[in-house]
Amino acid sequence: MDLAIEVENLVKIYGKGGSGIKALDGISMKIPKASTYGLFGPNGSGKTTLISILVGLILPTSGNAKVLGFDVVKESVEIRRRVGLLPEGFGFYDHMTALENLVFLATLDKIPSDQRKKRALETLEMVGLKDRANDKVSTFSRGMRQRLGIAQALLKDPELLIFDEPTVGIDPEGAAEFRNLVKSMNKEGKTILMSTHLLYEVGMVCTHAAVIRGGKLLVQGSVEELYQSVREAKGYRYELRVKSGIDMLLQEIRSISDVIEIKQNENHVTVLSRREIWGELLPLVSKPQFKDAVESLKPIEPSWDEIYRFYQEGG
Amino acid sequence: MISDALSIARKEFTDTITSKRLWLIVGVLLLFSVASTYSTIFRVITAFQQAGRPVASVFSAIATTMAYMAPLLGIALAFDAISGERERGTLRILLSRPIYREDVINGKIISALAVISLAVTLSSFAAVSISILLHNIAVTMDDIARVCLFIVFSIVFSFAYYAFSLFISTLSSKSSHSLIISIGIWIFFAFILSAISSLIATAVLGPPPVRSFQAFNMSQRQFRNFTSPSIFPQEYLDYMRREAEISSMIQAFSINYHYTQITSLLFGYATRPIEFSRRTLTSIPTVISTRLIDIVVLIVFPIVFLFASYMIFTRRQEK
Repeated sequence: MDLAIEVENLVKIYGKGGSGIKALDGISMKIPKASTYGLFGPNGSGKTTLISILVGLILPTSGNAKVLGFDVVKESVEIRRRVGLLPEGFGFYDHMTALENLVFLATLDKIPSDQRKKRALETLEMVGLKDRANDKVSTFSRGMRQRLGIAQALLKDPELLIFDEPTVGIDPEGAAEFRNLVKSMNKEGKTILMSTHLLYEVGMVCTHAAVIRGGKLLVQGSVEELYQSVREAKGYRYELRVKSGIDMLLQEIRSISDVIEIKQNENHVTVLSRREIWGELLPLVSKPQFKDAVESLKPIEPSWDEIYRFYQEGG
Repeated sequence: MISDALSIARKEFTDTITSKRLWLIVGVLLLFSVASTYSTIFRVITAFQQAGRPVASVFSAIATTMAYMAPLLGIALAFDAISGERERGTLRILLSRPIYREDVINGKIISALAVISLAVTLSSFAAVSISILLHNIAVTMDDIARVCLFIVFSIVFSFAYYAFSLFISTLSSKSSHSLIISIGIWIFFAFILSAISSLIATAVLGPPPVRSFQAFNMSQRQFRNFTSPSIFPQEYLDYMRREAEISSMIQAFSINYHYTQITSLLFGYATRPIEFSRRTLTSIPTVISTRLIDIVVLIVFPIVFLFASYMIFTRRQEK
């Protein structure tokens, strides 16, 4: 597997001596290239510290990390040359226009002088701010600043994008646009590492995810692997939308081996089973005698809230 | 890399020279300099008949104003140089670029040096020119050389306060804290330390001799011989000298003191009451050799604080 980021037993302690705060406690992770990797955890779990180490803004206390093959301690400038970062709590020069801000940052990104303005306008267009290019940043709303933040991360057309809490402050429409942007960049083959404390975001855009808490990695893997592990532990769930007269149907479902529980709430029926029974449920509801009584049948994936709680409780 | 530092310096320079803050300080400096030449020139020419080099009195008035304003210029440029970037979150964006942390602070220092040089040179030449025209004074090459030297020392003096304020800004996460500390130190060095030093000197030496000041009943001729033993008894002059020595020793901790020592000798104005009788200007080479220690202190002070700022900023880890 080609890796974009490889972290091994990373420890970060703020402060010295016994009073030091352990922000990262032996984290190891592997982020494949061309994945959209969601780093989920509550506030103060160590996400920003991990990201800051990955781009060389702070040094780890111990452990190793490589980003795109470069060591985070010895080759941080090379990493930042190839990585677009949207840091948490960033800001812009308010007295300058959006375009001036981006052209200045493009200079530091070593983009050739004849391409800076063009590239800045391209990224502004990508985030829907091209018509505000010549407006001072002081006139921007929080959501617009966040979008401008995404634009500055895209300036150097990086191989790897790291977004720290990217949708904070963006309205739902803007957040949806951001997720679409992430998906399209991922389709182009870019690797995206995205930290968030919003569970649903992970499920919406990520191909891989990790749960971090108290500086420790609780779990990591592909989104499907995480779903599967929770399903195996907590059971498989299916939802039927039904009309009246389904007693016979429920009786037949109950007879399927490993069905643990059937709950009916008016015209909703939830079936919980120890194993995958989709192959048995579908033919059953398709039978002529039940066909009219069942409006729909679908499997219910574990929610990210459940996944988080599951791993928080020890997996 | 120097190109990154220069890119940051270019942006900083543009930001600063288009800011109201800078031009307000330059304007106030200019206004006070020109205004103070009026009171000084009349006092010196009329009372002391120092008509031989009236231009020196103009320069001395400007130097007095510069002694107060140059630190404010340095502080205004530095107090939020790093802490402001931290507060606004722009430091995070800057440090996420493929640059070294040194480039950020180097860029700011280069820009500040350029702005201070520009502001001090412009305001000094403008103040001198306006005053010379207003008072219709003839200027010699020696006067011009003195002004140029004064500008160089004023730039270093202002830069010394820049370096100190940058050091505070590097340590601080809030610009308001940085500003308060920097201004507090300026007030202490500019106003409080001289008062404290006099108090300490008096405490060490005890009260001055009883038979002392008869100047209120002096004739004009006696007044010209202000420090002659016939007016001040030797006992009193010794007391004043010892008081001045102790006071100078204490004030040597202040960068303002060293700057004033240099400019006072350069333009021949009095820094202490006992020196009112100085009539001839000291030659420039003599000024430099006499005030060499003050010049060294003026140069070393900013270097020390720049080095400290540099070390703290480059080693500090910003999430």
